[in-house]
Amino acid sequence: MAAVSATSVTFGSSLKLLKSRQITGKASSLKMVTVGWTKSGFPSLRTSRFRVSCSAKPETVQKVCEIVKKQLALPAESELTPESKFAALGADSLDTVEIVMSLEEEFGISVEEESSQNITTVQEAADLIEKLVQKNSEA
Amino acid sequence: MFSFLHMASFTMKIHCFQRNFSFSSSALVPVQLPSRMETHFWYILPDEVKSATLLNQYLDILSPCEKENVLRMHGDNLKKSALLARALVRTTIARYQINSQVSPTSLKFRKNIYGKPEVDWQNHYDRNPPPLHFNISHTSSLIACGVTLDSPIGIDVEEKQRTTKNNILSFARRYFSPHEVESLSIISDPEIQRLEFLKLWTLKEAYVKALGRGFSAAPFKNFTIRFRAATKGHLHLSGNSNSKASEIIVESSDDPKTLTSNWQFALLELTGSHYAAICKEKDDDTVEGKGSVPMKLTVRKTIPFVEDQCISGKDALVLVGGL
Repeated sequence: MAAVSATSVTFGSSLKLLKSRQITGKASSLKMVTVGWTKSGFPSLRTSRFRVSCSAKPETVQKVCEIVKKQLALPAESELTPESKFAALGADSLDTVEIVMSLEEEFGISVEEESSQNITTVQEAADLIEKLVQKNSEA
Repeated sequence: MFSFLHMASFTMKIHCFQRNFSFSSSALVPVQLPSRMETHFWYILPDEVKSATLLNQYLDILSPCEKENVLRMHGDNLKKSALLARALVRTTIARYQINSQVSPTSLKFRKNIYGKPEVDWQNHYDRNPPPLHFNISHTSSLIACGVTLDSPIGIDVEEKQRTTKNNILSFARRYFSPHEVESLSIISDPEIQRLEFLKLWTLKEAYVKALGRGFSAAPFKNFTIRFRAATKGHLHLSGNSNSKASEIIVESSDDPKTLTSNWQFALLELTGSHYAAICKEKDDDTVEGKGSVPMKLTVRKTIPFVEDQCISGKDALVLVGGL
């Protein structure tokens, strides 16, 4: 998902340098930074918006983790990261649907069945929740 | 490998249900292809597989990608079920001896546009690959693979003791069809209601998996599964174990013209502990035929490379719809 902000730029006109990944074993390469050109022509350094996905609030991610832990009966101390895949945690199809239903109730949203296939990790669930919550508030 | 493999004790099974005498010969007992009318249902119980050597043998037949997926699972039990599921699929399909070059390791798989796995015969056939269909389902305590010839199949298994975190009727109202909600709501005993819910869930899952579309592309609200007596009239889902329901039918509620009479269902109870639902497309000849035709089922419990056992009677109790 691309981040869309009011000051985002057309890629053609921006100086686009990519933040490099550290590659083990190789000599460290260039450290680069993204520069974007705003509509007004002034470059803006959007260091906080590097990520291409709209990242959900930490509280949302936390809430999702709680619901997932409860559904899958995971011990409280179990390690759940936003990238944790439900299937890798042992969720079967009934668990996933139950998780979606719990999220709907918790956040007051409605998830179309078609979207449920896109909810495979905590992060994806949180992102979708925020999108739907925002849509609700705009309606 | 994963830690438990080092801790597990070595056990050697010399049961000879299918004359597989030697553990070290590692032979997969070949099996004849099912006929068009038949469904083969294979299952494995993870608790019965304890040998570290055997588990390593299973790991060896997986593709690199499958191995990665197995190792990504959190915890030893989940790694083990994931491993057994892939090993079950590969060894089962390889048994059908369609082509001498097919071995469990050489099989390739791909997914259809909705993500349903199918065999990719490209390595072994230029054209006219064998029309072998399969589908798997697993719970932590039982992993199953259904196989058919020339007809899409979907299966789903659930532990009978499984509970839902959400209230059953709330869940049903959210996801099931109105008729199904009705049939669940008239059950007063919560335990029976829970069991009937699980039966419905597995049947609905089996159907969307047979369709090849899964839950997302075939919303559960748009079709109704119901039980029907053999002769005439309709029967609501009944918790009564003496239910005379003899067939399971599906009706599409969003499009009445959608053909649904071409799907055949069976519901089993395995080893008293699991429900297994099977959905298969009817053979052309039977679609035209009158009324219901029970599914011809062969149920086998297996530990690949070790033993296979034909299962019948109370260990593979047909609740509805199968022979």
